[in-house]
Amino acid sequence: MLRDITLGQYYPADSILHRLDPRVKFVGTLVYVISLFLFHNWGYLLGTVFLAVMIKLSKVPFKFITKGLKSIFVLLAITMVFNILFTPGEVLVRIWKITITREGVAMACRMSVRLIFLMIGSSLMTLTTTPNQLTDALESLLGPLKKIHVPVHEISMMMSIALRFIPILLEETDKIMKAQMARGADFESGNIIQRVKNMVPLLVPLFISAFRRANDLALAMEARCYHGGEGRTQMKPLRYQTRDYAAYGVLVAYLVCSIGLRVCGL
Amino acid sequence: MSLKLEDVTYTYSPGTAYEMHALEHINLEIPNGQFVGIIGHTGSGKSTLVQHLNGLIRPTLGRVLYNGEDIWKEGYPLRELRSHVGLVFQYPEHQLFETDVITDVCFGPKNQGLSPEECRKRAEEALDHVGFPKEMYEKSPFELSGGQKRRVAIAGVLAMNPDFLVLDEPTAGLDPKGRDEILDQLASLHKTRGISVVLVSHSMEDIAKYVERIIVMNHGHVAFDDTPKKVFAHYKELEKIGLAAPQMTYIMHALKEHGMDVDVTATTVEEARDTILAALGSQKKNGKKGAEVC
Repeated sequence: MLRDITLGQYYPADSILHRLDPRVKFVGTLVYVISLFLFHNWGYLLGTVFLAVMIKLSKVPFKFITKGLKSIFVLLAITMVFNILFTPGEVLVRIWKITITREGVAMACRMSVRLIFLMIGSSLMTLTTTPNQLTDALESLLGPLKKIHVPVHEISMMMSIALRFIPILLEETDKIMKAQMARGADFESGNIIQRVKNMVPLLVPLFISAFRRANDLALAMEARCYHGGEGRTQMKPLRYQTRDYAAYGVLVAYLVCSIGLRVCGL
Repeated sequence: MSLKLEDVTYTYSPGTAYEMHALEHINLEIPNGQFVGIIGHTGSGKSTLVQHLNGLIRPTLGRVLYNGEDIWKEGYPLRELRSHVGLVFQYPEHQLFETDVITDVCFGPKNQGLSPEECRKRAEEALDHVGFPKEMYEKSPFELSGGQKRRVAIAGVLAMNPDFLVLDEPTAGLDPKGRDEILDQLASLHKTRGISVVLVSHSMEDIAKYVERIIVMNHGHVAFDDTPKKVFAHYKELEKIGLAAPQMTYIMHALKEHGMDVDVTATTVEEARDTILAALGSQKKNGKKGAEVC
């Protein structure tokens, strides 16, 4: 039950998208998000086609990609309701004090399409890129910030450790939960106060184990003479290849098209 | 009373890239009062198997029966089942959470709905069974040594008075003395309370000394299911699946090869000593020198 979290879960497959340099994918996702906010009408068609092609290229089953959408469902519903109710314009329906406008409905549709595409787009990146590659990409892309003394290496190291620990802690939670259930603990019934109280046998061991693991990891890093980013090289340094430059080309073309559509007012 | 698995198959993450068959078509019956050992190397499905016994995981296919009743039937009291079938996980000390030892052990009985006095009584009994000293009842479980923590955690399950006690590698990471003590206490529990004990381990020596039946797991299948002597007779096959028979089995077979008339099914040091002495005795009678063959 706890394993069903898609965001940040890598789906192993052999596709062109998996092989791309993670920096390209990172920039690509950013470009895609920007383009989503540039679109007006016809642009969405371009966005849909682009996304569909990427999904096809990624070889990730569509079912996997849409799994992450469940988590934004509430957000989506709230956004739609607010947009429908509070956008002024040409009135379509009026019930007592509530008015629904044409512009409101259009806005709501646009916002939800944006949100869904945004979610799918970013899931596509995390599904085709391992967390380690992602943090490497981030470290490399944020590299220039080192000049103004931003601890880029440390930040990315913290990120990769945090990401690495998510599955471990989930597994640990699952294990402790089962162990306490074997002792008759009940995590499912009771009112909210009761349920919070019932969590104590789960949370205390979980915190202790998290601290123990953190301590072990710190010691292990010390033992391997870890001393931060200064003079540190990478085992698999990121290097652009022909296909990455080609991908950048596609991205530029895509961005130009999006801006073009916006400028033309389509 | 009995626990029965009928054609149980369990698949992790079905329908995804991480799909893995942990168990395939397992058929088992554990009658009341038996001392059973489950062995298998890492990833053979032992831990998955034992979690089926008290309904912590639901089989993908097949049925789990307790006293002939399907435990996954609509409305079956799973929580009650868990107080009949106690499960001690690997490294159980990681589940301790209370401020003192006695309260932690009381957690199980308390969940069974017993009165505080009754809980306390059960907890004291359980702690006594695992040989935990009385003067340390009020200590924080986090101040204890590894071996003592392990005892407290086992007592936590024992305090629920289960009819079946399932332990997943209860001696992992303990020193030899602590290991022997815990196993001896389990054996005496089996004897005095008459409860069934299911011991998961990959140490052949532990298993050989205590259990009356061995289930060997390999790649999610039951490879052997018989008395220790009969299972260890297949020591060559055991090696093939990454396990080994107890050291005594090897010594006995080596002695036999060198012409000494010993019982090759001896698995513990005591049995080995007896059969070697017997063999030496008969050789002397036959006028042969024992030293010659040794």
